[in-house]
Amino acid sequence: MYIVIAGGGTVGYNIASMLVVEDHEVVVVEQSEKAVEYLNQQLDIKTIFGNAAIPRILRDAEVQRADLVLAVTDRDETNMVICFIAKEMGAATTAARIRNSEYTGYFIPPAKSTLSARRIIRPKSLGIDVFINPEVEMAREILGILSSFYSTPVEQLANGLVQIRSFTIEGSPMAGKTLSELNFAKPCVVAAIARKEELLVPRPDLVLENEDALYLVAERDNMDYLGRMFSAIQRPARSVFILGGTQIGMLVAEGLADHDVVVKLIEPDEEKSQKAAVRLEKAVVLKGDPTDRDFLTEQGVPSADAFVATTENDEFNILSCLVAKNLGVDRSLTVINKPSYIPLAEAVDIDVAGSPAIITARKIAHFVLSGGAIAATLLESGQLEAVEFVVSPQAGIINQKVSQIEIPKEATIGAVVQNNQVIIPPDEAVIHAGDHVIVVSQLNVLHDVEKLFK
Amino acid sequence: MKINNVLHYLGLVIAIVGGFMLIPFTFSLINAEPDQMAFGISIVITLSAGFLLWRFTPITERRISLRESLAIVAGSWIMAALFGSLPFIISGVLPSVIDCIFEAMSGLTTTGASVFSSVENLPHGILVWRSLTQWIGGLGIIMLFVTILPMLGIGASQLMEAETPGQQERLTSRIRDTARTLWLLYLGFTVAGFIALVIAGLPGFDAFNVILATTPTGGFAPVSSIGVYNNLAVELILIFFMVASGVNFGLYYYLLWKGRPAKFFGNPEFKLYIGILAGCILLINWDLVANAGIGIFEGLRQASFQTASVMTTTGFATADFATWPHFSQAILLVLMVVGASAGSTGGGLKVIRLLVLFKYTYRRILLTFNPNAVIPIKIGGNVISDKLISRSVGLTILYFAALWAGFLIMSAIGLDFVTALSSITSCLGNIGPALGTVGPMSSYADIPGIGKLVLLIAMLVGRIELFTLLVLFVPAFWRWR
Repeated sequence: MYIVIAGGGTVGYNIASMLVVEDHEVVVVEQSEKAVEYLNQQLDIKTIFGNAAIPRILRDAEVQRADLVLAVTDRDETNMVICFIAKEMGAATTAARIRNSEYTGYFIPPAKSTLSARRIIRPKSLGIDVFINPEVEMAREILGILSSFYSTPVEQLANGLVQIRSFTIEGSPMAGKTLSELNFAKPCVVAAIARKEELLVPRPDLVLENEDALYLVAERDNMDYLGRMFSAIQRPARSVFILGGTQIGMLVAEGLADHDVVVKLIEPDEEKSQKAAVRLEKAVVLKGDPTDRDFLTEQGVPSADAFVATTENDEFNILSCLVAKNLGVDRSLTVINKPSYIPLAEAVDIDVAGSPAIITARKIAHFVLSGGAIAATLLESGQLEAVEFVVSPQAGIINQKVSQIEIPKEATIGAVVQNNQVIIPPDEAVIHAGDHVIVVSQLNVLHDVEKLFK
Repeated sequence: MKINNVLHYLGLVIAIVGGFMLIPFTFSLINAEPDQMAFGISIVITLSAGFLLWRFTPITERRISLRESLAIVAGSWIMAALFGSLPFIISGVLPSVIDCIFEAMSGLTTTGASVFSSVENLPHGILVWRSLTQWIGGLGIIMLFVTILPMLGIGASQLMEAETPGQQERLTSRIRDTARTLWLLYLGFTVAGFIALVIAGLPGFDAFNVILATTPTGGFAPVSSIGVYNNLAVELILIFFMVASGVNFGLYYYLLWKGRPAKFFGNPEFKLYIGILAGCILLINWDLVANAGIGIFEGLRQASFQTASVMTTTGFATADFATWPHFSQAILLVLMVVGASAGSTGGGLKVIRLLVLFKYTYRRILLTFNPNAVIPIKIGGNVISDKLISRSVGLTILYFAALWAGFLIMSAIGLDFVTALSSITSCLGNIGPALGTVGPMSSYADIPGIGKLVLLIAMLVGRIELFTLLVLFVPAFWRWR
């Protein structure tokens, strides 16, 4: 696919580096000379120096033949203009990163009630096919983790019938056993294993080690039950501290407060704390230094269920999480803007470190699908992808048993869905045209996997 | 810097050079000439050296650092010249080893300065190898390497940037596609030129050799000079292909692949390049008619060919310009420094740098009487960054420093004023023939050994743009691990 990315910041860079691995043709337009230089040094892509909202620059980037234009500069208005011009020039699909939720709010068709605002403008008339809001996505993910039993995010496929989730072996008796010796209480498939930033192909004789992360594919109803093998259930958070009156912080605070969770938001800056207090009616806003132990103890951090750091300063986030963890908070979550810090944060026992850039990249994975894929999601910081394919009538694998399909060893077929019936493990299932097949694959072989289903 | 990484890739480059030797080997086999032994041995040595080097330097990391790429680029050219000189050494066609390396380096850097006083009696294999070395070096050894071998994307672009800094714009998303496109163009020009020359009446073998020396703007001919053919059609064809090869190859991509002629013809460097060429042809023509008593049409024919040949840094000749009036010689000497366009196969300082320097100097003049003026330097509507300007200025200073240093050394070893100045200018600009006793109708055979060594280094320095080679001699490059 030919993909033009407008904006080469953190988000643009991460998306580009992901797409290059998948062997797409990528061009990045960026107007900061420094960023262009960095992109050229790091990635094998074409860069164009200039403002992407100018038609001449977009013409140089050949948007007229682009399959996808991603506008991910840091200004909403610029992104909207880029999508508008690109669409006019003939780009097939456009996606814009829009951070201001007031914009997205206006664009989304309102609920059918007489009281709701009238729709002023439709996204289509602006040429924008897809909205991406990294902050909202990030907040949604944090909320999902805080309300669930386990501290890892879950991915839903096949309309939510099938879930994929990673579990980490933490001193449980599983370490030292081979994969074939594991007894799962409910049917599931081990789709991949991550060991210290390295991905392992699941083979029956693979010996598991402590701290390996297993990606399980299972039916929705079985997932929580399976999780008990790995760690004790955590109860959904009832009291949460949030650091930072940022967009993410406020969205999380609002979401939690709506579910009657006790929320305290800490913001060191006077002006920002005022703003946050005006917006958040159900939460307590505190002005203070989150690395001050006495202040945190006084406010009750030691007995809180979770601490969420959402400022734009990664180092500050990590440090505050460590202080909170040290004081005895159950779970610590942090927002990380530099994806390279994520392994670092997890190494110092922060439970979840998520990056808006990676989440955005994950969201975009849906739109670079080719072949018979209808849904996709990125796992393991973008090294793995779970894809849902629909088997085309011309596919060579029709009438074959799943165990006979010659699929690259870096990919695993996790589930087959036939007439809304989930088959896990799918080894004995016979593939028919129109079946949904869920594959977990490393990015570099995705191309070969796609061919099977065409 | 991991020395293994460097040696690993050098091994591959050496092996490629060995592979190319199969072509002249075939010619010497067909003609059953004595040089087949020389080629056989050279191929065995080169291929096995390359293979062993590649095999026994396992690389741990596939990603190469910037310093490694600089070392690979400089090393590749030196190794290619050393191994490329093997056929000359083993066949014994030249009296000394330094002559052999000179000839090989002259070919690879597309200079075309020859130490053979006559080439008519050379075996076919040797003649083809001379021509082929130029064709290999034309677009750059590294560019060839990137095209042929699968390499990690980002490493490839680093290598290409180290070989021709700031000259080749990335045309496609993946750097390998860019390299392939350029090679396809290069190959296309070569094939088209070959067919045109054969139609114009040149024997197949001659046409093959001449075109292999034309598209890379090299200058080795299988005869003493192109004038021997005395064929106007051949001269016109060669002028066209020389001038075409002196244009930035990236521009053809926009013209032929993208159908955007405005980007080609509107390019400021292209316009200036054609302008300088046309202006100099007219000036020389006038000088020839007025001061050498040559007829106006004969004068135009001679002036066009010689000017195109020198400015594109090819170095073919149909007339002995070393005996022309002084004004014409002076123009040619200046053109040797100017050279062709960036991103072409030509050498010299490059027209675009001239343009940048001119605008930079003009800005300085304006600033002298109004220091508060803010004057951005624009080329074709794009503002040129100060970083780029300072690189151009730095490179030009180095270029002239190398020129003067070479001039002093050449004078010190006893050459006359004109020969000393023009030989170093010609070799640094990768032209080939110069003035004085190393004019187009004579050879470099009589230059003393030290002089040849200096010229040989000048050719390399001119080809891979000074900085890439100079870093190897800076102690800090090796110390800062």
